[in-house]
Amino acid sequence: MKTTVIAAVSLLIAATAPALAAGQAATIDPPAEGSVSASDGLAAFDRIYEVVTHPRCANCHVGQEGIPMWSGPSYGKTRAHGMNVRAGESRIGIEALACSSCHTKLSEDREGANDLPHAAPRVNAFWRLAPAEFVWFGQSKDEICAQLSDPDRTGGRDAVGLARHLVEDAEHGGFIGWGWKPGGNREPAPYTLQDHVNDILAWGAAGTPCPGR
Amino acid sequence: MGRIATITRRTLLVGAVAVAGGVAFGTWRYRTPYANPLLDGLGEREAAITPYVRIDADGVTLITPRADKGQGVYHVQAALLAEELDVDLDQVRVDPGPPSKAYWNTALAEEAADFMVPSAGMMQEAATVGLSAVMKFIGLQITGGSTTVPDQFEKLRRAGAVARETLKAAAAKQAGVSVARLKTERGEVILPDGSRVTYVELAPIAATIEPVNDVALRDPSQWRLIGKPMQRIDMVAKCTGTQVYGIDESIDGMVHATVLLNPAQRGPINGFDASAAGKMRGVKAVVPVTGGVGIVADNTWRAFQAAKAVKADWGKTAFPDTMDGHWKALADSFVSDRQDSRNRDDGNVETAIAESAPVEAEYRAPYLAHAPLEPISAIVRVGDDGVDVWTGTQIPRFTQANVAKITGVDSEKVRVHVYMMGGSFGHRLEDEVVKQAAEIAVQMKGTPVKLTYSREQDMTHDFPRQIAMARLRGTVKDGKVETMDLGIAMPSVMASQMSRQGLSTAGPDNQIVAGAWDQPFAIPNQRITGYRTPDLAPISSWRSVGASSNGFFYNAALDELVEAAGADPMQERLRLCNDPLARKVLEAVAGMSNWTSARPGEKRGRGVALTKSFGVHCAEVVEVTDTPNGIRIDKAWVAAEVGTVVDPVNFDNLVKGGVIFGLAHAMNCEITYTGGIADQTNFHAFEGLRFYQCPEIEVRGLENGSRVHGIGEPPVPPAAPALAGAIFAATGTRLREMPFNKFVDFA
Amino acid sequence: MQLTVNGKTVEVDVEPDMPLLWVLRDELGLTGTKYGCGIAQCGACTVHVGGMPVRACQMAAADVDGDIVTIEGLGTPEALHAVQAAWIEHQVVQCGYCQSGQIMAAAALLDSNPEPSDEDIDAVMSANLCRCGTYPRIREAVKTAATKLQGA
Repeated sequence: MKTTVIAAVSLLIAATAPALAAGQAATIDPPAEGSVSASDGLAAFDRIYEVVTHPRCANCHVGQEGIPMWSGPSYGKTRAHGMNVRAGESRIGIEALACSSCHTKLSEDREGANDLPHAAPRVNAFWRLAPAEFVWFGQSKDEICAQLSDPDRTGGRDAVGLARHLVEDAEHGGFIGWGWKPGGNREPAPYTLQDHVNDILAWGAAGTPCPGR
Repeated sequence: MGRIATITRRTLLVGAVAVAGGVAFGTWRYRTPYANPLLDGLGEREAAITPYVRIDADGVTLITPRADKGQGVYHVQAALLAEELDVDLDQVRVDPGPPSKAYWNTALAEEAADFMVPSAGMMQEAATVGLSAVMKFIGLQITGGSTTVPDQFEKLRRAGAVARETLKAAAAKQAGVSVARLKTERGEVILPDGSRVTYVELAPIAATIEPVNDVALRDPSQWRLIGKPMQRIDMVAKCTGTQVYGIDESIDGMVHATVLLNPAQRGPINGFDASAAGKMRGVKAVVPVTGGVGIVADNTWRAFQAAKAVKADWGKTAFPDTMDGHWKALADSFVSDRQDSRNRDDGNVETAIAESAPVEAEYRAPYLAHAPLEPISAIVRVGDDGVDVWTGTQIPRFTQANVAKITGVDSEKVRVHVYMMGGSFGHRLEDEVVKQAAEIAVQMKGTPVKLTYSREQDMTHDFPRQIAMARLRGTVKDGKVETMDLGIAMPSVMASQMSRQGLSTAGPDNQIVAGAWDQPFAIPNQRITGYRTPDLAPISSWRSVGASSNGFFYNAALDELVEAAGADPMQERLRLCNDPLARKVLEAVAGMSNWTSARPGEKRGRGVALTKSFGVHCAEVVEVTDTPNGIRIDKAWVAAEVGTVVDPVNFDNLVKGGVIFGLAHAMNCEITYTGGIADQTNFHAFEGLRFYQCPEIEVRGLENGSRVHGIGEPPVPPAAPALAGAIFAATGTRLREMPFNKFVDFA
Repeated sequence: MQLTVNGKTVEVDVEPDMPLLWVLRDELGLTGTKYGCGIAQCGACTVHVGGMPVRACQMAAADVDGDIVTIEGLGTPEALHAVQAAWIEHQVVQCGYCQSGQIMAAAALLDSNPEPSDEDIDAVMSANLCRCGTYPRIREAVKTAATKLQGA
């Protein structure tokens, strides 16, 4: 039953994604549950870990203190976002200075919008940090695996739900797609959006195995 | 120096000339060809005077020809004039000059240059370089030479007094009363019967009588303005967005341009392809300029965008490919062949060092961008009647000559209109942007071309602060500092800077040891040697010039020896101090900070430094805390001896700014070059000090000395070593290289 | 496209991705808003869009989603905004080039937080760079402006 529903969703997304040329498209085509071995699932998780701990993703998946990170060739080691930036409890900086004061919201996902090196990246969404429960920055494989397998810390999403979240966000030019086309000479997240979606689905189909379990 | 003294005296003569409906008072041009310009025709007379005060039907205008880059000199100059003229700043207009078109002429360009000196101290130090080409440089800026500040301090008050007394003489003549019975107040002469005549009414008469040059300046006890808090005259415009900086000016028919320069500093261009750029919206022309390409459009952003579409073939620079190469050139300079100066050699350094194991250390200071917040810009129009240049510059006289050469127009037909500057820190002592604007404008005759650098161009094509290295050998004995043998190596700032104006230098460059050789500490064996490194990346004067690196070297070296002696950094400086003015400065910061120890508490540390630069002793104490997030700068105390504090508010602001400038760059700023290309392109990589990092700063100006000094630069050099001392006290980490964030984190 | 700047509706013919900064400065001649870095590092171009502080170098013309207020619209020499008046009273300025942005940032802060603590001021004003080092006076002026606005 569950599989059927997912297939329908996958078809829907596959049909609509190409129409939104500016966003990034990926399809959801989950392997049958149990069809992926634990070792393949773990290998998929290793790649997931590479992606989510990459600076393009982890720099805004930080903990309770709400201080985003900066990294890149010109910064040397990864460091706290400059200018004393604090995203606050709102995670959008509204308590003091909204993230979107600099990371302005694009009204459409314009090509080249992030080409200027070191400018504040912009997406078609109000810039914000991920919720503190979704912390990835500085987290170990075990910690992130436990977090991604715990619906309380994924916004209630299972692996397929996570994949849908990725695809939907990327379609309208949100944060996730930006990770793979960050512009401005920034290093993109490893692999591709589709690879990452496939890995999430494979890991899910393998029963969300974690290295320490 | 006899010539300088003569010229200075001559320039103190104040004359008066008639202008439409009024009178102008000012100094005679020292090289006036006229025996008595007053006897010549009006035009000639106008040509021979640089006005400070103009009174006509529009009212009283105070003319403040020295360029303002944010340090408030328009305001200070106006205050000095107003003090003796008996007007208040709320009832006059201030014309920053060079003055209005009626006064424009070649003579003025030269005289204006006299006032456009960036820093009295810089020229004072430069004067000791002492070579013919440098003398020429100095010669053009004579009132800015060794005596700029004190000279101006007196000269402008004298101009105000001559104007006042001449207006009184005019009133006496008109009313038939004796001058002795007249008083002045708020722009009016008060007659014996209490009636008042305005200066405006008296101006036409004043223009016809001999100026009263025999005036006595008022005793400081009578000053109404000097020494008292004043409202700076540019506050309202700068707080309402109505101040027009060079980058804001707009001339009818103007086009917007930018340049794409070889990313490798001063590298050549072998060719370019602008076919794609030329088709972009709004692009009007893509033309060659020296070392790059000029892109002209109808909007600055469109020019920036098109510049990115130009493909160019760049040549290489001559200087080392890596920073290791730069540092090696400095390290290789500590040899007798490269010795540039040994202005100090007290006691017997070699004997002392031979007798005990010396303390040895090496110190480094990086290239630093000036990076004023207003990127450099210039508007140039090559017209039928000459060339107009609108820009914020500190060197209008050089700019005039350079533009004349590029455009093939006689220099007296090049009119340089100087604008308020959004900072400089020495950046606008260079005029490449004007030259490039002229190169573009000459290819678009009749069209005003505004050339604006992007921040990236501005930062990567800045001529930065010198890179420098110092080596210490020293000894201590019986708990006291006994020997300091400090060698300092750097390329010559003066030679690099003047080479871009076609001037050459030879002989010692005093900037190599400025802020180190003449410090007020009687260390028994003390030797300060300057070594001149062959040219590396082109460099220029950066706020406090040689002292910006050497103040750190000297104080950091002294701290190292103090530590070895087991002494207290403050007490040992006080013990060694051999200058009464410097001692009072040190005692002031010790008292203000209630100094008892360098370690006032757990994880807390204090450092102290004193640097004499530009004739000013400035001492600073900095206190830090070592927090889990890094070093937090909690507080700074500063005292400086300046003779007279002209405006305590502006003084306080400038001193705080100087301390922050010194701390900021010591914390996290440097320019490095890879293959001749600056690695830092914008403020993300040249961050400075942010609001939340700013310590509380307590300032005291001391007035024990007899000479008046400027305060723009002296607070910079002691900030870095005081911070390094504080970090050492708090953490035990001795910092010998700037920026410090290479070794410690800052909260 | 149409923009509303300082209460006036204006028509501009620009590319969708031209930064608002250059629309203001070169198309509309409103030069009180300054170009300092072009990448949201200095804050000199801060304006208000729909009442929120925005870096005009980072907001494309097509993305403007509210009325724009620049330093010229905040107050004038004849009718100063309380923040401008406080800045003048404390004589904050040196070169002044960053101050349009500083004032716009402070005005937005006080709009949303009439009684900011030192920590609140640190959180907002640290994204505006001043190369002259006027920070100590900015802090005093923000506090004075807060008091003035409270009393008003």
